[in-house]
Amino acid sequence: MNDDNSESETRTDGGATAGSEGARRSSNGFLGDFWVNFVRWNIKAVRNPFVVVGSLVQPVIFLVLFTQVFGQIATGAISRGGAGISYETFLLPAIAMQVSLAAGAASGIGLVNDMEEGMFEKVLVTPMSRTAVFLGKTAAEILRIVVQILIILGMGTLLGANIATGIPGAIGIVIMGILFSLWFVALSNIAAVVTRDQESTIIGANLLQFPLLFVSTAFLPLEFLPGWIQTIAKFNPVTYGVDGARALMLDQDVMTVIEVSQFGGIWNTLVPAIVVLLALDIVLGGAMVYLLNRASSSAVR
Amino acid sequence: MSDTEGRAAIDAAGVELTYSDGTAAVRGIDLEVPEGEFFGFLGPNGAGKTTTIKTFATLLSPTGGTITVNGFDVQREARAVRESIGYMAQETSVDLELTARENVRFAAQAYGVPRDRRADRIDELLDLVDLADVADKRADEFSGGMKKRLDVATALVHDPPLVFLDEPTTGLDPKARNKLWDYFQRINERGTTLFLTTQYLEEADVLCDRLAVILDGEIVAEGSPMELKRQVGGEILDVDLDDPEECERAAEIARESDVFESDADVAISDDGISVTAERAREHGTDLLVALRDADITVTGFNIRAPTLDDVFLAITGERPDLDREGGGDATTATEVTAE
Repeated sequence: MNDDNSESETRTDGGATAGSEGARRSSNGFLGDFWVNFVRWNIKAVRNPFVVVGSLVQPVIFLVLFTQVFGQIATGAISRGGAGISYETFLLPAIAMQVSLAAGAASGIGLVNDMEEGMFEKVLVTPMSRTAVFLGKTAAEILRIVVQILIILGMGTLLGANIATGIPGAIGIVIMGILFSLWFVALSNIAAVVTRDQESTIIGANLLQFPLLFVSTAFLPLEFLPGWIQTIAKFNPVTYGVDGARALMLDQDVMTVIEVSQFGGIWNTLVPAIVVLLALDIVLGGAMVYLLNRASSSAVR
Repeated sequence: MSDTEGRAAIDAAGVELTYSDGTAAVRGIDLEVPEGEFFGFLGPNGAGKTTTIKTFATLLSPTGGTITVNGFDVQREARAVRESIGYMAQETSVDLELTARENVRFAAQAYGVPRDRRADRIDELLDLVDLADVADKRADEFSGGMKKRLDVATALVHDPPLVFLDEPTTGLDPKARNKLWDYFQRINERGTTLFLTTQYLEEADVLCDRLAVILDGEIVAEGSPMELKRQVGGEILDVDLDDPEECERAAEIARESDVFESDADVAISDDGISVTAERAREHGTDLLVALRDADITVTGFNIRAPTLDDVFLAITGERPDLDREGGGDATTATEVTAE
């Protein structure tokens, strides 16, 4: 069909025909196409207060209220092993992953919005590389995730959380957030392409977020959760993202859903977390690319 | 256009598009649009206009036939086609969160307008569509007509030799519409080929050098507006009746009587009948007498040359939606043919 496989063609004499002195194309190249879209989505993010600030509101409320309301009880509970970890410190990596989740949901909403505004089709009819178009958009979303996680980590630190691994650990948490966001970015884009409807995508993405967070290790350690939640938590991607970030936060091997010991220290958590998330990213990302390609070669409503 | 003389901007042969659910939206279209022409694609809703234009613009893949646009095959050389065309969708497509200037800039970058020409080109286009004053306002503050004009600017940013316009004035008020018509004519005069779809005959009549009428995915007539009108044959006699209930009977009389020597087409409209006949002027009064004899009160009477509206009615059996504000109430007319 008319997707990326047409990109290998010559783009030299594209507009050299037909007359006018015109503002003809000088080859943009893949990077140029990527950059144009990256810039557009960044402008849109900055313009729309709901995107940057609004999507931070919920995580911030969670961070403040959970630590204030449950802080005393929870700190006691999670410190029974004698680790002396405050609930702020325990919760902060989970909130960082919540930010990734919310940003991932917004990705599909942005796509569906583009479809409804006709911009999706408008982009498809340009000679830009479609891969570059989607990569540019995703890169803008990742930039947003980085900024938002940094804000959350800063706020958490102010509230008394302590990143045991310091600045490198904070960077590690951001990377974990990116890795963790991609599968949900893919999922929300799949919802967008399948439903082509803004409400459905928003509802779908938001409805999924909270149950996913609660049936994971986000708010309490696995052993404090009832049996059925423990079972679900093992298959919940959120557990892997949160455990990975938490290992960096606490400088401990915190993962209990998959027990490995051959990597040493926090790597016993990080390696399985990264492997699981990468696999998920690749599978769902592949499905997304497939569906987007199909959607873009039959963009008729 | 010296070096490309006589080449077709669009050359389509046997184009078919059948959707996966089996719906045949386009059923064997042959079309040639020479460079520089203002070509109109006329048809009612659902006739296949949008599907055809999207196929030409590489947004849909044809399931049969071949299409060459600006010398490039739409399937094998999709990218080259995209570089050489402008496309304006039926639904206004602008990024509401961006300013007018940012929208045009995005398009300029997307089409690879060279960096050193970009700023000038953006100003030039905003000027062309009269949005220079509001260039730095966000598009969500714009009226429908302004958004449409911005959309036009983004479709023209790379100065393509061929521009597709899919129902560009649907839903606009007459003032905004006339403004767009003016831009289109200006662009066409500069040598750009325009391919426009419309369900408005008036639009096709005013703008287009040549027309194709599409119905159920097939081209049923082709020619200049003048040629098409000539096809209708004769003159048109509109008779307004006092009582719309009498239309059926009046049509019967017009058909049965020997007045028009059986060469008349009689159509019923909302408030009367229209008779198309070779010698309508000569025999019109006879019909009026016949109607009076049958106790049918005539409130108005007019003889005129055929319009594209009549062409459309003769071809499709449907009166197109002419009345922009009034919606679809003009579409209820049915054709009755005198044999």
